[in-house]
Amino acid sequence: MNLYEHTIIARQDVSQSEIKQLTEKYSKIVEKYDGEIVKTENWGLMNLSYLIKKNRKGSYIHFKIKGNGKVIDNLEKNESIDKKLLRHLTVKVKRFDLETNYFSRKEENEKKKEVSKN
Amino acid sequence: MPKRQSGNKKGKQSNFAKLSIFQPNKYKFKKSCPLSMKGAPIIDYKNIKLLKKYVSENGKILPSRITNVSQKKQRELSLSIKRARNLALL
Repeated sequence: MNLYEHTIIARQDVSQSEIKQLTEKYSKIVEKYDGEIVKTENWGLMNLSYLIKKNRKGSYIHFKIKGNGKVIDNLEKNESIDKKLLRHLTVKVKRFDLETNYFSRKEENEKKKEVSKN
Repeated sequence: MPKRQSGNKKGKQSNFAKLSIFQPNKYKFKKSCPLSMKGAPIIDYKNIKLLKKYVSENGKILPSRITNVSQKKQRELSLSIKRARNLALL
């Protein structure tokens, strides 16, 4: 069993409910091949630093998966076909750090700044 | 004589530390590696704040002779910068 971090970027015009469907769809695939999802993070809609297929923004979904290589094979196979997605990235890690949230924090800080400005 | 030699070496290092006169001063770092000290931040492709320090304004990876990052950490850095680029985070 290996530990993987898996991130996918969906198109900017994909709605919130569709994002939920996507996460469910891919978590089902993981479970099908005896994998286990330790954590899912929704980073929300973020600005891309460059255009990807004429998209300026993308919604990021991050999975932390425990499983075999087969899980990742099938995930990436399905994701490369999916038209709603722009990119996907898997990274094999030795240990999960479940404490640090780089992106949710940022959003909170930005919100706080906006509030203080107002 | 040995004193002079060491002086020469230092001079060379300072020459290498700055590529051009027009380079802004924010790239100057401490002499020891800033990422292998105790309590140093973990290099990760999600930690964009950290990675942005080691990338030039044009998005190029800065050489370790400017940032004074150790070889091992530089390898980790470049890998995670490339991952972040793929995800359009950098």
